[in-house]
Amino acid sequence: MILVRGRGRQRLRYAVRRFLQAIPILVAIVTCNFFLLHLAPGDAASVLAGESGSASEEYVAQLRHDFGLEKPLVLQYVDYVANVATLNFGHSFRYNRSNLGLIVERLGATLLLMVTSFTIAISFGILLGAWAATHKGKALDRGIRILAVVAYAAPVFWVALMLIMVFALQLGILPTSGMHRIGSRSSGLATVLDVAQHLILPSLSLSFFYLAVYTRLMRAALLDQLGMNYTIVAEAKGASPRQVLWRHAFRNAIIPVVTLAGLHIGSMLGGSVIVESVFGWPGLGLLAYQALFARDLNLLLGILIFSSVLVVAMNLLVDVVNSFVDPRIQLK
Amino acid sequence: MTTIYRRSLAACLMVATAALTLLGAVAAPAWAQKPGGTLVIVSTPEPTTITNAFNSATTAGEVGTKIYDGLLEYDANLNPKPSLATEWSVSADGKDVTFKLRHDVKWHDGHPFTSADVAFSILEVLKPNHPRGPGNFGPVQSIDTPDDYTVVLHLQNAYPPMMRAFSSLDAPILPKHLYAGTNLRNNANNNKPVGTGPFMFKDWQRGDSIVLERNPNYWRPGRPYLDRIIFRFINDPATRAAALESGEAQVASFGSIATSEMRRLEKAGVVTIPLGGFQALAPVAMITFNTVDPPFNDKRVRQAVAYAIDRKFIIDKIFFGFGQPATGPISSVFKGQGLFTDQVIHFDVPDRLKRATDLLDAAGFKPKPDGTRLDVTLDIGPIGDEYRRMGEYIKQALKQVGFNVSLRNEDMAGFTRRTSQTYDFQMATAAWVGMGDPTLGVQRQYVTSNIKKGVPFTNLGRYSNPEIDALWAKFAIELDPKKRAEDAHQLQQKLVDDSPMVWLFELQQVATARKEVKNLINGAFSVQGGMYETWLDR
Repeated sequence: MILVRGRGRQRLRYAVRRFLQAIPILVAIVTCNFFLLHLAPGDAASVLAGESGSASEEYVAQLRHDFGLEKPLVLQYVDYVANVATLNFGHSFRYNRSNLGLIVERLGATLLLMVTSFTIAISFGILLGAWAATHKGKALDRGIRILAVVAYAAPVFWVALMLIMVFALQLGILPTSGMHRIGSRSSGLATVLDVAQHLILPSLSLSFFYLAVYTRLMRAALLDQLGMNYTIVAEAKGASPRQVLWRHAFRNAIIPVVTLAGLHIGSMLGGSVIVESVFGWPGLGLLAYQALFARDLNLLLGILIFSSVLVVAMNLLVDVVNSFVDPRIQLK
Repeated sequence: MTTIYRRSLAACLMVATAALTLLGAVAAPAWAQKPGGTLVIVSTPEPTTITNAFNSATTAGEVGTKIYDGLLEYDANLNPKPSLATEWSVSADGKDVTFKLRHDVKWHDGHPFTSADVAFSILEVLKPNHPRGPGNFGPVQSIDTPDDYTVVLHLQNAYPPMMRAFSSLDAPILPKHLYAGTNLRNNANNNKPVGTGPFMFKDWQRGDSIVLERNPNYWRPGRPYLDRIIFRFINDPATRAAALESGEAQVASFGSIATSEMRRLEKAGVVTIPLGGFQALAPVAMITFNTVDPPFNDKRVRQAVAYAIDRKFIIDKIFFGFGQPATGPISSVFKGQGLFTDQVIHFDVPDRLKRATDLLDAAGFKPKPDGTRLDVTLDIGPIGDEYRRMGEYIKQALKQVGFNVSLRNEDMAGFTRRTSQTYDFQMATAAWVGMGDPTLGVQRQYVTSNIKKGVPFTNLGRYSNPEIDALWAKFAIELDPKKRAEDAHQLQQKLVDDSPMVWLFELQQVATARKEVKNLINGAFSVQGGMYETWLDR
């Protein structure tokens, strides 16, 4: 009992410390991103005026003034950091709304997409990997390995378009894009079903690559563990093959999978840019993509800060989860 | 999915029909138009604001024109038709323009529409704030409103082009009672607009869609036919095409799906592509030369480029037939007003390649041992994949006469900076809209006074010719239509002779619609008009 409480406190201390460590990381991210993004040619005013197809001098000057773009870059940076420090992420040039509002509005959609994809990838990855490992060398194992190679190699936008072709155009059973049936005014369960239906193709597209990685990793890790002395000892002591597999080898085999999955959160966020683009999924990835081309730099910086926080938080979560999965892991 | 969708649409239709019958709002048209239904339009990019008084981006116009009305509309030949104004007259000296307004118009919030709204919109909203405002309404000095339904514009000088700028696309009328005394650009109504138009704003889910609902009190009796118009914003062009193909959307605006996809869906019998609705914009695709720096400061080199390019090839093979060869700076859309002429130098002659090499010889660019004569760079405007392919074609076409062309693709921010701020370019391709009158949309590319560093879509080539400047100035204020036409013809002849641009083709900026969509085009507009005549046959 005491031991458990001790570990609980240890975990909390660890979490707090990691959180504090994240602050300098975030400052560095803000600074690097700010100056890197301002290296890109052109500004938000020129994009807005360019899209207008025509513009007067007064119009462009007015935009630059409204956006504060005539100030020297260093001053813009000081303003920006001061604002972010007070959790003010500024106004989007393009949408003429608060960046925080825009980000929060889109965060849910991205989280939903990521959590679903992640769940699909990790649960089916572990399942298929374990399945392949226990049937090593048999047809099932070979089948799963081939599938994993294909899923690993297929580019995400291609998978996405193929899924649209088959399920939306040929079979006509799923919608091509969006998050809701367009103009739908459903509520409650109907909305949940509606969103779920729209979520299937994007989350499958995003999960394929990771599914392949986890399948292969799980297979290898489990085979490793099954060849270790402790499993032979367990077997010798009379544990059933099932007990050996699930109680002993499996618990050790998923540690590298969970660790890797934690590292993948960032890259999955990157992948969501493509998936959200193809499927018109109204999430952060799509917003970031559009903000970049619109040179809506404050919005883009806001999204990057949020993404960084998300990645740091997820990594922390994975560490804590790992300490539950394997009590030998010390959180220091 | 499809069944549920159809069923709910059918339900919408039934409810709408019942409601209309109950309200007695239908003037029982004898023809076959069916009221009701939801029309979904895929378009791109998502607009920044949906009040098109402050922004002339295509999609802002597509949404805004449903919500707002203009004083006038225009037919396919750009002749004015009544809208909020029932009559209009121009004084003999051209300096006073009087509009008589409708008496039965109400804003979406129930306030009556009056002449005060018009005066406020033109003087305080459009003239200073619309990207084309100074060009459209620059000469307007003051506006009188002798009564609630009469507006008199007092101009500094006669300005006939202005009469083509009163559509809801260029001059939407905004409600004074919601805007007067506020910060116009940041007024909250910009993103939940209140207009007098056929559709009312309902909802904007950013990153996804904008929903507009039928205005039941619209002043055109029995209109609009549709219950709802929904704009869908999907980032990926292939997905947009798939949405149209699957029936999740009924209309795709030009540029939102690839021209090859438009033709494929047309061939498959899924869509029709009615020709029209682009006259109000009169777009022309062209190559802009940097006329200040060598080698394109030499007219002979510019004309060599004009001769080397096969316009038919670009239209047929790259734009899948959505265009016709351009002969000069003014689109043939203006033929109806007599402003267009094709009596200019023609570059599509049988011996055009020889002419091109002769010109280059004369300009001193002799072939080097490897056959090339000079190295140049072409910047491709980031306005669609077709333009990238057109750049690849131009590279090959110019190679035949000795140009070694490097292609440069940058995004909108980079492209506008390069072409209008640093002028660090030699040739650039883009499509330019001519608007309802050459003074409003064409002049800006050629007059010395519009060389404006840092402002996109101005005189980017920094072309400067006093004779041309004088002609444009005369053309802008000429009241006699015949003399005006002569000026326009002279402008075309002289400009083509000087070739500060290569005018490639007149873009037929058409919308693609599924077969059930009827009456998409109304006069000079399609998706950028009020769409109150559009109906769904299902």
